[in-house]
Amino acid sequence: MRILMTGFGIGLTLGAYFLAKTLYMRYRHPLLNVVLLGATLVAVALLLLKIPYQAYLPARSLMMSLLGPATVGLAVPLYRNRELLSRHAPAILAGVGLGTLTSVVSVAWLAAFAALPREVVLSLLPKSVTIPFALEVVRLHGGSQALASAFVVATGTLGSVFGGALLTRVGVQDPIARGLAMGTGSHGQGTAMAFLEGQEQGTMAGLAMTLAGLTTTLLAPLLIRLLVRA
Amino acid sequence: MLRVLKVIAQIGLLSLFVWLGGRFAALTGLPLPGSVVGLVFLYLALRSGLVKLAFIQEGADFLLRHLVFFFIPAAVDLMNWGGVFYRYGFRLALAIAGSTFLTFVVSGHVSQWLRRRHQPCES
Repeated sequence: MRILMTGFGIGLTLGAYFLAKTLYMRYRHPLLNVVLLGATLVAVALLLLKIPYQAYLPARSLMMSLLGPATVGLAVPLYRNRELLSRHAPAILAGVGLGTLTSVVSVAWLAAFAALPREVVLSLLPKSVTIPFALEVVRLHGGSQALASAFVVATGTLGSVFGGALLTRVGVQDPIARGLAMGTGSHGQGTAMAFLEGQEQGTMAGLAMTLAGLTTTLLAPLLIRLLVRA
Repeated sequence: MLRVLKVIAQIGLLSLFVWLGGRFAALTGLPLPGSVVGLVFLYLALRSGLVKLAFIQEGADFLLRHLVFFFIPAAVDLMNWGGVFYRYGFRLALAIAGSTFLTFVVSGHVSQWLRRRHQPCES
């Protein structure tokens, strides 16, 4: 029964993924986010079929066990672009490093100012990085993986809808700087938008996305101790 | 069929790096996830020639192409968190929007400034 349920959970998630992806491919609208749309489809199916969330957990952990090797795989695009990486090293390291610091510190301050509960604040901290890193930060340091993924998607959607116009408005024209900002501020969704601007912007955004994830994971223990009240 | 087996074997090799990263973090006591340490290890192994790109690239490309799929199960749990959005929705939106705005401006300007400083003759 348990095996049957696990198989059903995986099949359901795969179906939701392909449906959400097909819709996104057809309309290409940033609000048609594959993660949120897919998760909503799964949640609605579970509710309609009266399957308790607990029964979905074995399937969930089986699927998410592939997230580790996928994260390690991010070394491949980094390695493929190693020359670009060393040619623009100062701009990349400073842009991604300070951008990441700004993201974590500012959201922690704003959240403290808004008097949000600790669990919500912890889930907000990795909002600018791609989900595999955000999930690991939350797993190690507290917070909710579901909330963290929702905040990551919200940040990515916001950045991909308004990010390009914002950068133009504040005078960032350099294509490499634009790509770095989109990847640092809005991870994979920002990267997708950066690729629409051009190959150079997109590649830079992809590199920034991975490096911002690394930086956030490395700094999280220190920043949480400094910024979040116990 | 052969290609499927190849992708599976390469994902196995990537998982070995997750495990190595996890062991490293456990032995050193560093509060880092195994997958992230494994990413750094794999990059170093590629740079040093210890691992060839051909050993892992099909597995890695397959997983990265479908990366979003693995996020869906994590987000399904949102069905249990509706109350948080109901109670704090407005404050959450302000915190996320404000911080995202600042992040874009800071990282965009810092990298543009450094690009102009280091390559004055290019543009």
